[in-house]
Amino acid sequence: MAIFRDGLFFWGEMMNSEKLKETLSEALAEARVAPDIEGLEHVRIKYLGRKGLLPGVMKGLGGLPPAERGEMGKLANRLKTELGGLLDQRREELESGAMGNVSFDFTLPGAWHAAGTRHPIARVIEDAAAIFARLGFTVAQGPDVETAYRNFEALNTPDYHPSLDEQDTFWLESGDLLRTQTSPVQIRVMESTQPPIRVITPGRCYRRDTTDATHSASFHQIEGLYVDTRVSLADLKATMGYFAREMMGPGVGVRFRPHFFPFTEPSVECDFSCHVCAGKGCRVCKFSGWIEIAGAGMVDPRVFKKVGYDPTAVTGFAFGMGVERIAMVKYGIPDIRMLYDNDIRFLKQFA
Amino acid sequence: MKIPISWLKDYVEITETPEELADLLTFSGTEVEAIETVGSEYEGVVVGKVREVSPHPNADRLRLCRVFNGKEELPVVCGADNVAPGVKAPFAGVGTVLPNGMVLKRARIRGEESLGMLCAEDELGLSHDHAGILLLDPALEAGTPLVEVLGPPEIVFNLEVTWNRSDCLSVIGMAREIAALTGRPLTIPEVTVTETGPDVASFVRVSIDSEDVCPRYTARVLQGIKLGPSPLWMQRRLSLCGVRAINNIVDITNYVMLESGHPLHAFDYQLLQGGQIVVRTAVPGESMATLDEAERELDVASLVVADETKPVALAGIMGGAGSEIQESTQHVLLESASFAPAGIHRTSTRLGLTTESSHRFERGVNIETVDWAGNRAAALMSELADATIAKGMVDEYPGRAERKRVYLSFQHTTDLLGVAIAGREITDILRRLQFPVVAEDEEGCTVEVPGFRHDIYIEADLIEEIARMYGFDRVPDARILCAVSPDAFDLPFQAETACRTVLTGLGLSEAVNYSFISAQLIDLFMPDGEASRVVLPNPVSSDQSVMRPSLIPQMVDVLGRNLSRQVREAAMFELGKIFERDASGTITEHKRLCLGLLGPVGRHPQDKRRDVDAEEMFRWLKGILEALLRSQHVLNEELTSYDAVMFESGTGVEIRVGDRVLGCMGLVDRKLGSEWRMQEPVAVAELDFEILTGGALERVDIEAIPMYPAVSRDVAMVVSSEVSHRQIEAVIRESAPPELTGLELFDIFASEGMGDGCKSLAYSLEFRSAERSLTDEDANGYQEAVKEALRAKLDAEIRDK
Repeated sequence: MAIFRDGLFFWGEMMNSEKLKETLSEALAEARVAPDIEGLEHVRIKYLGRKGLLPGVMKGLGGLPPAERGEMGKLANRLKTELGGLLDQRREELESGAMGNVSFDFTLPGAWHAAGTRHPIARVIEDAAAIFARLGFTVAQGPDVETAYRNFEALNTPDYHPSLDEQDTFWLESGDLLRTQTSPVQIRVMESTQPPIRVITPGRCYRRDTTDATHSASFHQIEGLYVDTRVSLADLKATMGYFAREMMGPGVGVRFRPHFFPFTEPSVECDFSCHVCAGKGCRVCKFSGWIEIAGAGMVDPRVFKKVGYDPTAVTGFAFGMGVERIAMVKYGIPDIRMLYDNDIRFLKQFA
Repeated sequence: MKIPISWLKDYVEITETPEELADLLTFSGTEVEAIETVGSEYEGVVVGKVREVSPHPNADRLRLCRVFNGKEELPVVCGADNVAPGVKAPFAGVGTVLPNGMVLKRARIRGEESLGMLCAEDELGLSHDHAGILLLDPALEAGTPLVEVLGPPEIVFNLEVTWNRSDCLSVIGMAREIAALTGRPLTIPEVTVTETGPDVASFVRVSIDSEDVCPRYTARVLQGIKLGPSPLWMQRRLSLCGVRAINNIVDITNYVMLESGHPLHAFDYQLLQGGQIVVRTAVPGESMATLDEAERELDVASLVVADETKPVALAGIMGGAGSEIQESTQHVLLESASFAPAGIHRTSTRLGLTTESSHRFERGVNIETVDWAGNRAAALMSELADATIAKGMVDEYPGRAERKRVYLSFQHTTDLLGVAIAGREITDILRRLQFPVVAEDEEGCTVEVPGFRHDIYIEADLIEEIARMYGFDRVPDARILCAVSPDAFDLPFQAETACRTVLTGLGLSEAVNYSFISAQLIDLFMPDGEASRVVLPNPVSSDQSVMRPSLIPQMVDVLGRNLSRQVREAAMFELGKIFERDASGTITEHKRLCLGLLGPVGRHPQDKRRDVDAEEMFRWLKGILEALLRSQHVLNEELTSYDAVMFESGTGVEIRVGDRVLGCMGLVDRKLGSEWRMQEPVAVAELDFEILTGGALERVDIEAIPMYPAVSRDVAMVVSSEVSHRQIEAVIRESAPPELTGLELFDIFASEGMGDGCKSLAYSLEFRSAERSLTDEDANGYQEAVKEALRAKLDAEIRDK
């Protein structure tokens, strides 16, 4: 670069306003076609860089006649702002990848694997555990193979009770059995712990039912137990009501019907109002407005005696419900066997 | 249990509608499962007299009848076997709509005109019986509307009586509930027994050998009975309750059983030997034929009613065929007794024989009213079968005992139910339930437990009575207060939830299979180890006869089933228990996690058509496994080759963590897979869940983020295909300085140009120092050392760019 009195020379050429205009449009064109950030940087250095064109022009301005000086100054400024602006814009475009000439079809399918799904049985159990956790219940588990003592006798079931029938229970050669309910886990908890107790016991149970649309020889239950001083039926009602609303929906209510279980007294069956029709009557609730969901009651003092608690000092409630039943009612599953068929097209719907 | 409302009204006033009454019972503990209407007004149906019967010219099974309907004689074609001249039967003329919906039209049947129909029970909606036309009392006048004969339609409740409430297994029992619920009086019929025969002692002696299983036995003797059908009103009540009418004597025993809950039995007195009844257990080798004509082998715990020489009834369950009431019966010995529930249940279960009688005895009958039931039946036999009643009743009553007394504290009632109920309301409820209150003060009361209640022993039993009569709907919801268990039992459950979260995030869906599996399926996968299988002695079916020793067989079955339904790919897991038996017979159960992959699950979506090869399938599963292990803080698993029947040779791997076996993985044996028509590799793994998750809660020491920059160098080489990635990694790690902080295989291929049995691998090495910035010269030096070691130890040909 050299500056002569009669003109501004740059890159071996005399730079006048005409020439500068030309250079500006060249620079803009170069900026437009630069394929990547690196190319763009070259353009910037060439025109705006420390050793580039613009600083040279600016330095030489002082040596120009005042008449030319004004126009050249304006042009140099345009070069700075227009080219600078374009470079910034292009840089942003290149960085964001939204470049017109690197176009792609955004309607193409995504290329990451889909998330898997929890089984509806696991889902109901986990949801129930989370609901009861808010009420201070922890989750206890126990073995599927149980003693007859914990499955029946400790639960105040006399040995000639119909539920002890050969037909209903899977007895093993050892004299143990496959638990018919998860209540023996409650016995285990009480045997090892002192009140207050708040547990739920989800798990697999077994009964010698012939499989059909609503029965399965192996199924899941969630039972719950609360033992403390002065636990009442009113507490049970409140707890079941809370669970019903959280599990099935805010408008769902519960009602109790007296029933009989050997291990609770009083015993009730617990119906939830139908979450589908809000109690008006529909196919899901067989037009009754109510769906039978749980068995419950106040723990029989004879059960407390079996585990060594003082029945005059503590009271408690217990409840139990079928996981498959809740899943079927909640998700509208017509046949229990669908839960054990494991068709991926069924399972994938529980996302 | 079925009960017509009209029968209940004999004992208690009912002003409620059937629906109101059903709600009252359901919400006090006896669920009304169904309300049925039996019978109808039978519009258009009258008593018809069959005047003539002649064969149908064109059909062997049909007959031509002339039926008089009170006004005219009409031709009727009838197919019933029991149609005969002179009989009377319900007749429906043309235009009648029958209760079963049938509309009668003028018809020609095989060419013969038929202007109406003689009806069977099913056509009238009385039962499902279509054995023949319903024969009516011959004394009825033809043309009488049938509704006048059969009575108006009946409402019948189908009740679910819970196991503890044996007192509700009768019409009087349910009437007692209704009386208690409504506060109306209960009226039990007075029984007047007119004894005109000789002393009963001259006919029979009764002895009880096993008094603990037969606390009371009564007998009456009735002479000169006239056997015949029981009156229509009785037949109808039996039928409404689902009991078949047989003859007046048997019907009366059933009627009184339904009415009072006391099963009775009538013996043909002349078929009993020695004028003797002995209640005893069976002797070894004894057997008897019961009324259902089955020959029953008795074990020594079976309780029988015997005469001098042989058992004549299976006590409390079923009578014997040899002393049954029959045409020739003249004198009857009527048994009313109480047998202990446990023995009846045991024998009934052992023989697989449940009857109306055993159903009641195994739940308990009212020992106090055993004699009432015997007297009631005797009086009815005198009235309806012209029987002469012998004087007196034999009443062996070794189990006579004082009534139990139970104390109830009003405060306890309020505390347990969470609602304040006044003492007066409590005692009022108990009185209405017929618990005599023998003492009462401000604090509580003491009641006697009447003989019909077998479920009241302690205070809580009475509180339940209060609760169900007071009404659960009147108990308010308490404010929820959380008393938290001091011990948390959650950890194993939380581990399950955590693994589910990781695995679903990795794209696997959860399966749940039965715990049972068929022996054949296990044999395919694990032919050895039969001794450790837990086999069910009483499976529901043979394909569910073994407790699963592994989750893998069902996983493969599930993948195969999906494949057969044109599902091309599936990534699944199951979390479940396996069961094993050791040499001593002890059963252990372990939680396992099973993984299974089918199809191109790890491929880019537009690259799924190519066949899946074994190596990539294995590596997809291995990748999932590694991600899962890291999530559970398992960092140092070791894989060793593992042969198993279920794995394709050379693809099975055992996974160890320290000195413990975490599990195994591999590709399913091809021949095994062909059982499910699997043509491409399928990968499965099974892990012990406790070992997998045991360290998940351990504290993790966090390393500082590096302060100095890293320098990368690549090392590419050609080695014999025998050389494993693990060997190369080991050599690199040994020969590199501690500054080696990253090592990654970034390329692997084999090509013909390389020569036979060779492959090319390229690794990226990252060096970094915690103390300073490494220079290029440092990195070059490290790289050279690595290259040198690879050449020396693995005979690697280092490829320089």
